[in-house]
Amino acid sequence: MLIGEKVGKEWTMDKAPQYAIDHVANSKKNIFEFEFLNSLSEKLSSFFGLSSDSLFYIDLGITKHVFLLFFVSFIVVSTLVTLIQGYISHKKNIPNKFMSIVEMFVIYLRDDVLKNFVGDKEYRSWAPLVYTIFFFVLFGNILGLIPIFDLTGLIGKIGYKADMLGKDNILYLLSKGGHTVTANVNVTFAIATITFFAFIAAGIQKYGFIQHWKNLAPSGLPLPLYFVVVPIEFMGLFIRPLALTLRLAGNMMGGHIALIIFITFIFSATAELGGLAGFGIAPFSISLALGLTMLELLVAVIQAYVFALLTAVFIGMAIHVDH
Amino acid sequence: MNPLLTPELGTYVWSLVIFLTVLFVLKKYAWNPLLDFLEEREKDIAESLEMAESAKTNLEKIKDESEKILNKAKKEGKTIVSDSKLRAEESANKILDDAKAKSNEFLDDAKSKIEIEKKRAIKEIKEEVVDLSLELATKVLQRNVKDDDNNKFIKSSLEAVKADEAKS
Repeated sequence: MLIGEKVGKEWTMDKAPQYAIDHVANSKKNIFEFEFLNSLSEKLSSFFGLSSDSLFYIDLGITKHVFLLFFVSFIVVSTLVTLIQGYISHKKNIPNKFMSIVEMFVIYLRDDVLKNFVGDKEYRSWAPLVYTIFFFVLFGNILGLIPIFDLTGLIGKIGYKADMLGKDNILYLLSKGGHTVTANVNVTFAIATITFFAFIAAGIQKYGFIQHWKNLAPSGLPLPLYFVVVPIEFMGLFIRPLALTLRLAGNMMGGHIALIIFITFIFSATAELGGLAGFGIAPFSISLALGLTMLELLVAVIQAYVFALLTAVFIGMAIHVDH
Repeated sequence: MNPLLTPELGTYVWSLVIFLTVLFVLKKYAWNPLLDFLEEREKDIAESLEMAESAKTNLEKIKDESEKILNKAKKEGKTIVSDSKLRAEESANKILDDAKAKSNEFLDDAKSKIEIEKKRAIKEIKEEVVDLSLELATKVLQRNVKDDDNNKFIKSSLEAVKADEAKS
């Protein structure tokens, strides 16, 4: 994650926070340029009346995170489809090591989450969504922990001299270090949006359009209370996806920032106190980073589980209204 | 604006598109087949467990039945043995009783025959005695015997005979 960066004599201690933020944040430039995407972005934005200098300009360019999204989705789809199709079509039906793990998660989510919260009858139609959220988020989290693009960075430094290719070169941008897509609030907000529409759809499917919105507030309350309960419930409706968004992004972001700050101790010590201090602090710094990486692995699974669990809970709440 | 919280609507749109595509593909090629497969496998397992259970109960039933039959057979055997013993005893007793009764009959018969023979013998002896005494008397009286004497003698002889009779 850091090898690709140029950490040299110009490093000072106060650069560390910005350095960590740059690492986690999306790239400002596109790593691939496609003309049709640019024109599509302009058309889409002008449809909504957004100018190119607007904060909400819809730029469909392939930034670092969009590229990573493609990468993650490719890994998720190829891994799961290969494993599951192989497992099902095999005559003996004995799961291999990876399939056992997938099956463990699938059965656990089905029996303890989906059947529990969504219901024995309704769970089948919502299971694919919850499973996809779990594995998509899980793979996003874990692939963020594997420094794939730091390896490309290392190769870039030694092999093709990425720095010399210019700042706009794809290889240079790709070699700037690995990142977690699920640390980007826009990505998590997109998944939370799907959860949001899923639990509204679940309620409408079960009760019809009007009854579903009536279900928001419990019936049989004294009339004045409705003036309090209805706004609270309505706000809750939108707070749910927002909480999902910030929980996942915040968790992934925080972990990675802390991880980088630990590593920058070495640079800071070297810059401020000399090379010997850098060597002295390295074991301490690395063991902290190692411990935190272990913790991040745990957090990666837990946050994926929490996202999937809460999606199931919200869908279940819309289906089983009796509070 | 903090770069970590900047809205990037492009990324948002891409995320939606990519996630929905992944959802569609995985639903079709991973989750639905896997869920169907798992359900079928669980059904299979449940069925075979049920079958094993029913086979077990069947076996137990058969075992119970065979035990019952065995017990019944044992009981019947016992009753047959005891019955036949009883019957054998009965018939033995009957045979014994019959034999006893027959021997008693024989004995009684023999006794009565003996009695009859005895009576006949005594009668014959008496007749013989009378004849002899008459002969004797005639022989003695060939000489001249008065009527008186004659009567006297006859009388005493008869009394003697009577006394004899009474004795026997």
